[in-house]
Parts: sequence; C-alpha cells; structure tokens
Amino acid sequence: MKKIIIIALFVMGALTSYAQEPAPKLYTLPSPFERYTHYLATARLMGAVPLGSFSNNYIDKASFQNYSISIEWVLRNSPISVGGEIGSTYFEKRIPRALYQNGDEALSAVQTRTVSQYPVEIFGNYHILPRTSSIQPYVQLSGGVSILDYTLFYGNLASQDQKVRPKYGIGVGSKFLFKRDGAFGVDVRVKYDGVSYKHEYIDKGISSVNGSIGLFYRWW
Amino acid sequence: MLKKASLFILMAGFGMMSCSKDPISDLSTEETLVYITNHDKAANFNQYKTFSIVDSVLVVENGQAGTALSELDRDVLIRIISNMEKLGYKYVSPKSKPDIGINASWITNTYLNVVSQPVSSYYGGYWGGGGYGYGYPNYYQYYQTSESYWLISMLDFKNPNTVDKTFKVVWDAQIRGAGIGDRQFVDTMVDSIFGQSGYLKIN
Repeated sequence: MKKIIIIALFVMGALTSYAQEPAPKLYTLPSPFERYTHYLATARLMGAVPLGSFSNNYIDKASFQNYSISIEWVLRNSPISVGGEIGSTYFEKRIPRALYQNGDEALSAVQTRTVSQYPVEIFGNYHILPRTSSIQPYVQLSGGVSILDYTLFYGNLASQDQKVRPKYGIGVGSKFLFKRDGAFGVDVRVKYDGVSYKHEYIDKGISSVNGSIGLFYRWW
Repeated sequence: MLKKASLFILMAGFGMMSCSKDPISDLSTEETLVYITNHDKAANFNQYKTFSIVDSVLVVENGQAGTALSELDRDVLIRIISNMEKLGYKYVSPKSKPDIGINASWITNTYLNVVSQPVSSYYGGYWGGGGYGYGYPNYYQYYQTSESYWLISMLDFKNPNTVDKTFKVVWDAQIRGAGIGDRQFVDTMVDSIFGQSGYLKIN
C-alpha cells in the first residue's frame, strides 16, 4: 500500500514537472498591470434617464449632455480599485405655455425646467474576474457631493437655487481591454445615482439611471 | 505621478464648469412673455357695471413717476378697453362715476452693479522690466441692468374705503418678458391677461 502511494507521488511529481517544462519563465512574466498597483483614467459620455418622483414631478426627459472623468488606483493583489470621479450632468425640459395657480395668483408662462449638476465622488470597484482577464466586470459603490443648480425659467425670468448636496451611486460595469496587457480599453457602465435634494417641484431627491461608455488609459 | 493625476482632474473639472448653458436661447419673443394676475377673491365682479381708464400710461422708473402716451401705450389702453367691453362692462368717462378704474403702468427698476478690474498689478513684468509690474490703481467697472414690466390694476371706485381714503385693488396683472415694449405683441399680451381671468366676465 505504502509503495503504491509513493509511486503515485513520484508519477504526479514527474507529470507536474513535465507540464512546467515547455513554458520558459522569462516570457510568461505577468504584465506590470498584474504585478503593480497602477493608475487608470477614464473619460465617459453618459446618457441619463430620470427616475421616480424627480421624473414624475419635474423632468422626465432623458439627457445625453453628460460626461465625467475618473481616475482610479487599481490595487496590487486585490480585486479592488479605488478612485475619484468628477462630472457634469444636465437635465432640461420645456413645457408649453400653461397656467400655474399659486394661491390667488395665476401665472401663465412657458416653463423651462433645468437641473445641472457637477458631481464630485469617490468610488470603490470590486472586480469579479482576475486581473489577467481582458474583460473585467466590476460592481461599483460611490459617494460624494453634487454641486447642483436648479433653475426654473418662467419665460425668460429665472428662479434659481444653488446647493451642494450629498449623493451616492451604485453601478455595474465592465472594462474591455483592447490588448490583454495593453494600456487602452473601453469602459461600459450602468449606474444608479441618487442626490438628496428638496426644492419646489423636487420633493424626494434627484434620482436617475446613467448608462455610459468610456475610454480608459492605464499606466504605472 | 499622483500630483500629475490630481492636476489633470482639476483641469478637467474647471473645463467642465466653464461651459455654461443657455437653456432659453431658443425661446421666441412671444414665449418669453409671462402673465401674472391676482384678484381679490372676496370681490364680486357682478356688482360692477361701468369702468373708465387712465388717459395715459403711468411710467414709474426707480420710484419716480410720470406719464406718457406713446403709440405703444395707446395700443395697450385701447386693447384693455375692448377686452373690458367684451367681458360686459360699459366704458364711461371718468366724470360719470365709473364703478371701476383701470390703471396701466410701465415700471422700470434699474440696478447699478460694480465689478473690479481683474488684472492685478502683480501680473505684469513678462517683458523683463526688472521686476516692475503695472502701475494700475484698482479699477472698477460699472454696469447697469434694468427690468421693466407692465402693471395693470383695477380699482374698486364703487366701494371706496372712506376711512383710509383708498380704493381697493380688486385685480391686477403683470406682463413681463422680452417683447413687452413691442407693439406687435400688444394684442397677445392684453388678451392673455384677461383671458386667464375668467371670473371678470359679467355678461
């Protein structure tokens, strides 16, 4: 019995050493992106769809005038990357002339509803597949502030409110590398954004779903 | 490296903030007009039968008042009369004790704003002037903004307040926007303020 085990071990040892042999180590060194903590910068173009009471009460029109830039540190030996993102999002809706009752006052005007935001956030990504993969799906959590501007136009008269408000986001996305150990790639992400804000028509915050496509560059 | 990255983010940030939007640049002049009307809910308009109107427009500019009767003003007054007649009121001369008096005013508020010259006296010296900067004093530039609107009010002559010697305003209308000084929009403007005040109708 003992003999058999010893032979089996020998055979296994021989097999494994045989398997390693045709791969000279010099050329299979993992790329620096696998070995080091590196930087990754992404520029994104976004389409955003308003949700919930923000959509019901204020603006329900999708917006394509959004973009962002992020930079992240992809940590060594870890599926996690952390970073910061700043961006610009803008929602607008025109409402044809209508009569608005406010107590004893009646106001007839063409309304132009706008919300523009400059979100400043930090985020953490958890990558599902190993670093060696050229497709790298991730889930994202983010938090920060939104520097926002609510401007409601009645004709050419504006009623404006500017605030800095907390915001958070949850997203899923994926990075697609053009070359497995290359520096460039495409980033696709779908993200829910919530901003806590209350003013006039907006009673339960600004929430939206953003789909973005981005281009990234990484270096170490 | 980190410094480079944060600088990059900062620059991108300023780049984004600097492109501002003008969401109302595509509005037509007619679309910029805003009509605001108020009325005394307690007033019963059926008690009024006759009205009169001022013979010229009151022009109030920064708290100083005068009167004017330009072609635009005449158009406005005539259109008010025709709207009132359509609602069932009878136009009479001020001497024959009208139930209602109508005032039309053109109100302008002017604001003076100031900005300082943004060039600091320390910015200069690039021509190699031996460390000398500009000899600027602190310059300030002034600019004016002004806002005008029509205010049309209806006074209750029938029930004057004899204690305070005042006439109660039972209805008023403001017209604001880009086209208020244009004769082309007079009919639209005046028809709109009466059109959104259905309670004025007595016939």
